Amino acid sequence: MGRILLVFRLVRSDVRRHPGQAAMLLLSLTVATGMLALGGSLGGATETLYRHTRAVTAGPDVVAVSPDDSAAAARTQAALTSDPAVAAHSGPYLQYYARLTAKGSASHVVVTAADAEPGPVDHPLVTSGTWVRSGGVVVERGFADALGVRVGDHVTVAGRSLPVVGTAVSAATTVYPFAQLTGPDGGPSDYSGLVWMTEQDTGPLAARHLSVSSLLYLKLRDPDATQAFVNAHRGPSVHANFQSWQFMIGQDATIIEGSRPILVIGSWLLSFLAIAGVATLAAGRAAKQTRRVGLLKAVGATPALVAAVLFTEYVTLALLADALGLLAARLAQPAVVNPTASLLSISAGPSGGTVVLTTVVALAVAVLTTFGPTMRALRTETVAALADTARRPDHRARLTRLSAMLPVPVLLGLRLIARRPGRAFLQACSITATVITITALLIVFVQRQVGYGIDSPHLGNLKDAQSRHTMVVVAAALVVLAAVNTLTTTWTTALEARHTMAVARTLGATPGQVTAGLSAAQLLPTVPGALAGVPLGIAFVWPFSAAGTVYPPVWWLFGAAFATVAITAALTALPARIAAHRSVAQTLSAESA
Amino acid sequence: MQDVVLAMLAKEPSHGYHLREWLRQALGPLGESMNAGQIYVTLARLERAGLVVRERAEGPPDRKVYALTPSGQQRVAAWLAEVNWPKQDLAELHLKLAVARAARLADPVELVAAYRRELMGRLRQAQRALLAEPEGSAAGLLLEGVALRLQADLRWLQACEQFWSKVENEAGDG
Amino acid sequence: MNQIDAVLRARDLSRTHGRGESLVHAVDGVDLDVEAGRMLAVMGPSGCGKSTLLHLLGGLERPTGGEVWLDGGRIDTLGERALAQLRRHSVGFVFQAFHLVEELSAAENVELPALLAGRSPRAARCRADQLLEQVGLDDRARHLPWQLSGGQRQRVAIARALANEPLVLLADEPTGNLDTAATLDVLRLFEELRAAGQTLVIVTHDERVAATADRLVSMRDGRLVDDTWMADLGEPVDGIHGWEG
Repeated sequence: MGRILLVFRLVRSDVRRHPGQAAMLLLSLTVATGMLALGGSLGGATETLYRHTRAVTAGPDVVAVSPDDSAAAARTQAALTSDPAVAAHSGPYLQYYARLTAKGSASHVVVTAADAEPGPVDHPLVTSGTWVRSGGVVVERGFADALGVRVGDHVTVAGRSLPVVGTAVSAATTVYPFAQLTGPDGGPSDYSGLVWMTEQDTGPLAARHLSVSSLLYLKLRDPDATQAFVNAHRGPSVHANFQSWQFMIGQDATIIEGSRPILVIGSWLLSFLAIAGVATLAAGRAAKQTRRVGLLKAVGATPALVAAVLFTEYVTLALLADALGLLAARLAQPAVVNPTASLLSISAGPSGGTVVLTTVVALAVAVLTTFGPTMRALRTETVAALADTARRPDHRARLTRLSAMLPVPVLLGLRLIARRPGRAFLQACSITATVITITALLIVFVQRQVGYGIDSPHLGNLKDAQSRHTMVVVAAALVVLAAVNTLTTTWTTALEARHTMAVARTLGATPGQVTAGLSAAQLLPTVPGALAGVPLGIAFVWPFSAAGTVYPPVWWLFGAAFATVAITAALTALPARIAAHRSVAQTLSAESA
Repeated sequence: MQDVVLAMLAKEPSHGYHLREWLRQALGPLGESMNAGQIYVTLARLERAGLVVRERAEGPPDRKVYALTPSGQQRVAAWLAEVNWPKQDLAELHLKLAVARAARLADPVELVAAYRRELMGRLRQAQRALLAEPEGSAAGLLLEGVALRLQADLRWLQACEQFWSKVENEAGDG
Repeated sequence: MNQIDAVLRARDLSRTHGRGESLVHAVDGVDLDVEAGRMLAVMGPSGCGKSTLLHLLGGLERPTGGEVWLDGGRIDTLGERALAQLRRHSVGFVFQAFHLVEELSAAENVELPALLAGRSPRAARCRADQLLEQVGLDDRARHLPWQLSGGQRQRVAIARALANEPLVLLADEPTGNLDTAATLDVLRLFEELRAAGQTLVIVTHDERVAATADRLVSMRDGRLVDDTWMADLGEPVDGIHGWEG
């Protein structure tokens, strides 16, 4: 018990002494696990929402869509309703293909003639106002949101202005803008919204000879046997198309299909940045940690206790970050998985699999990045650890010889890189990850967008917008994390190079040269990292791009890469400048004390 | 010993008993071994040499008050000015500084400085000779010993200097 | 002693640390002239401000009062860049803790100031080889600092300080981390430099180091309390003896 207390006391004091580092670990892991959880939970999210909506609204198992209201359609419908596999049915309802205008936007619309009292199958859930009544329309919620109409507003359907009396959600059709289960006259479908009217109110539509289809909602005895049912009703005499609830889930999910690879790939890139950042921090602390371990050992702590302290700290932070990331994912999920609002939202937390995955990733980042320094600390002889001489620098004569030819700041920078080649590599990879994301962002943003309305800029393409939003969020998170990484890397390098730089200053290096040297140490790996990011970014987008993908001009991509380098330069200058202006005398006397 | 006793009397005439107590205090544990009669033997010798006189002849020996004669005063002055390293006895130098302070005969810090200069000069000689010796010479080994001893003495003098300047400062403050 | 040209001059030099209650006068109104071609030792107990004085003289710290003149030019008013130039060309520092760059070999450490001063790599290497030979370490040129003994490291540091032929060599406890034999090596080196006309200022608490100087100043509580020309001490009449007869 006392030992556990001691471990936690040591962990607490360490976190208190380095709150910035703990915060950095927490931030990068939270962002990475949050994205990963969100990406992971997108897979089944639509299905969850659809199943929920279907349960609440008594959604049909199969919708039979007949392309007209002919006698053949009626015969088919009669055959279907008399099938013993059918437990219940509603309809048939006529659905008219019309044009709707509201608030300056125009859109295709399907108008479903509804019963005042819905039948046994499909009870649309009224989310505001009331269900249909004579002289008023109910607008499907996703469509209403896109149009921006509320109860009390007027919409013009096929030239006739009607008040909106309610909004509703139904599982009997696919989400906005996929309200047409088949196109007019059995042809290809358009992006379209859905409204309900009383049968009586659809009279004028029938009179205008608009295209019409006839819908029959069927509930089967075995809801999972939809495919068998559909197979049983094939043939030249069957005058209908069938849409099963499983098909609708697949169709609904396409609205967010663009976001998923962005989130998943983004979260892997973010995880990499987290590893790069935390590894730098952990290595930066290695010397201090080695000394601390030495102190603990000197007072009689066993290596196991020492290991326990180090791992407890990182594992605790990793688990905390994991929990925060999962919470953030859960909070963000409704906005991400239901962009059209055509389904009922339920806050379904991340699945068990997702939780396991993010936890494994968080722990892996924590353990991978701290394992090396910890092991080194444990293996170091107590006395050597106290004397802080554990690290014998390698001699990289070739690099040093080469650097002698270069201007002084670059010379100093190269000698700093020679000190930590691994860190330079991580810095290069961080920048590569950032440029990959920016390249992907540019590619996503230059694609042509097809709006959902008819020449109506306000009825934008929700699917593309969703992808773009996701891309922006992922890119922002990556850029922020990369910026934080650059700052910490520069600062860590500056701290480690403090002695060398102070010595250089006693030999006559100016603060400007030292600042430039520290910046150069960060920038030299940044340039190849940024250049590699452009082709890699294109390669990452390739598998997800459809035919006819438009690519931005090459100079945009390389311009973005160079802008990244320039911003990195600016970011490194700040900590480098602060470090370079420390008092030389103080640094040297602190080092020798 | 004789010089110390003389210097103590330079401040004011004093009983043998008082002189003995002062010596004991100044020497600490090193003074424990001092024979009680030693001070009177010393005083008697000094009296015979005409350096001190007894002011009141009657009564037991403890009641006798001794004072310096003019030649005794000269001897004290000469003693204070003398820097007789390396024949210097550590305890004697210590008492010299203590009595100089107690009798207000001289500033002990200045006395120390004089010794320091003397020792520095010697150390300089030793070091120069040592640096001139080739590495691994036998003479170098002897010179090394000389230098180390001088260094030890100089460090003690530095401690004396710090002690007496502190005493001076505190007296000045109070 | 006749007045030789002072290469380094301090006038009413002061440096304080902290403020209010915790104000410390590290250096407090010091006047000092360092004569060219001489070796000056500064002694005093730890915390008396002798290291700070050295830093002020070399432009490593800025005074809070007074003036510092080097080779006829005032340096306490110079900007950081000019001070860096000054350290590069006119001042060489040697420290107790050696302060070698651990990643660089002995020769590369010695080259560094020459490279900073803009010399060609070839010239810098040439100068480094020459200096290492002078300090007797030409066979250790490719060794890394940790492969060298303390005395060897300090000699590399001295060679490095000499790379750009400074006007003044400033040494802060150069033998503080060294044993007797290594100390003698370093002192022999200083003696050679002095013989060649190098001006040296050495801060030390080691009497044996101070005794080899031409002039010894003592510091206490930030002030100079004693100033002795060693040659004025004269020769002991009875030769070299260190103990009672």
